[in-house]
Amino acid sequence: MKNINKTLFSFLFIFAFMAVDSSTFAQTNADLSPTRKRAIDSLALEKVKDLSRYISIIGNKSTQYSEAMRVIDRAMELFSDGAEMGVSSTSSKAIRYYGVRKYFDRLMALNYDQVEIDWFNIQYISDLEKQPDGRYVGVITIFQRFQGKNADGLVQYSDVTKKDITVYVERKKTIIAGREIGFWDVMLGDVRVSETRRN
Amino acid sequence: MIALKHIFLTSFLAWVFLLPFSVSAQIGNYLGDESDLYAATKQMNQFFRRFNHEEDKLGNKFDPSSKEFRNNSDRKGYINILFDGQNKAIPQNVKSDFVNQVTNPAKPTFLEFHGGNWFAEVTTRFVYEGRERDLTLFMKLQEEKVGSKWVISNVFFAPFSKAMGKDTQDPSKFLHPLSHELEFMNLRKIFDEPQELKEVKNYVEANHKTDYISLFLYEVARNTLQFRTVTNVKFHFFQVDNWYLEVSRFNRGGYNNGWLISNLARLTPDNKDVLLNYIYSNGN
Repeated sequence: MKNINKTLFSFLFIFAFMAVDSSTFAQTNADLSPTRKRAIDSLALEKVKDLSRYISIIGNKSTQYSEAMRVIDRAMELFSDGAEMGVSSTSSKAIRYYGVRKYFDRLMALNYDQVEIDWFNIQYISDLEKQPDGRYVGVITIFQRFQGKNADGLVQYSDVTKKDITVYVERKKTIIAGREIGFWDVMLGDVRVSETRRN
Repeated sequence: MIALKHIFLTSFLAWVFLLPFSVSAQIGNYLGDESDLYAATKQMNQFFRRFNHEEDKLGNKFDPSSKEFRNNSDRKGYINILFDGQNKAIPQNVKSDFVNQVTNPAKPTFLEFHGGNWFAEVTTRFVYEGRERDLTLFMKLQEEKVGSKWVISNVFFAPFSKAMGKDTQDPSKFLHPLSHELEFMNLRKIFDEPQELKEVKNYVEANHKTDYISLFLYEVARNTLQFRTVTNVKFHFFQVDNWYLEVSRFNRGGYNNGWLISNLARLTPDNKDVLLNYIYSNGN
């Protein structure tokens, strides 16, 4: 039921976005108005928050394997093809590269009895910049705390990571009831994950 | 009927656009005490916005038509927090002169993302001749017919510099002006020198500059340079008249972290080229 609600919500949200867009922003490749940019920022932030939720579920040890796999599939749908995670730590600034699915698989298989993933209530959204293929690109920064614990609940590993998430915004068209409607589609791209030092 | 549809659509949209914000509060447990994360200059984009006073302390953008947007008097405070507070090498009077110039009410200076005169220094690691070596890529933002993109504008790689030496010539070494009558048979003397004395650069046209990008492309094409990773990024700005800024990322606790001004120097037309050469040769 929850999934049906979620799917229905996503569809209605996208449809509403398209409907608004077709009436106020009919031309293609037009520069984005500040109002439109704000609406796209909200949509992009929703995708990032979806990703945050999925990461919490995938990392949670009480999540059953089949459910984790289903959530990984859902999370993968947020990303454009070829997206990678670039991970560095405070001990090594060198970036290690993982495909997104491999990153999720590793997260699911971490060898702790309990895993807690929490988020700081702060997001930073860059300006959207146009790239040569006509798509827009932006970066959303969020912060996550990870704690791996043993069976007694003692923290064995903890870190705070900054996640800089690429967001691609593309103008697309669809036909609904014989009418061509333009809409802005948002996909996630490469994610830079860097461990941060705090105090 | 159309009016009814309109009312329905408006109510529906209001609900739909408000809903994401209520949903967003349900990700999971939010952690408290993110004041240092707010204080951090989290992206270069934020560095530009803070330098120009285009957002408030929480990162909310000012409307370009508002009186806060690029407000010159408020900028002074913002720019001062954009310096690396632990770098004592920049004297306070130099900082003050810089801040006073860029916030001069008669002629304020803002940093522009698409304004040119700034570039990135990207330290990378490549495998070369069997071992990992640092290689520096200098990148600049290039404007295109549509949008913009980052491109490689210069390369520093120690083995290249060592092999090529400086772009100077020994005046005692040349091919005499009647070499052509001998069908340039004397070329052999250039190439037959022992390896350590072989300096063919003495025989190329004046003012030749070694093109390190071409050397880099050649070695990559031959697969003798294989990319491994990126280890550091910093930025060099020449957008402010008579000033040079270096911006680096500081990953540390406290409020003075993220992308900050790590170096500041006064520029003259003479020392600008010296500084650029210094940067492009990685300080060698």
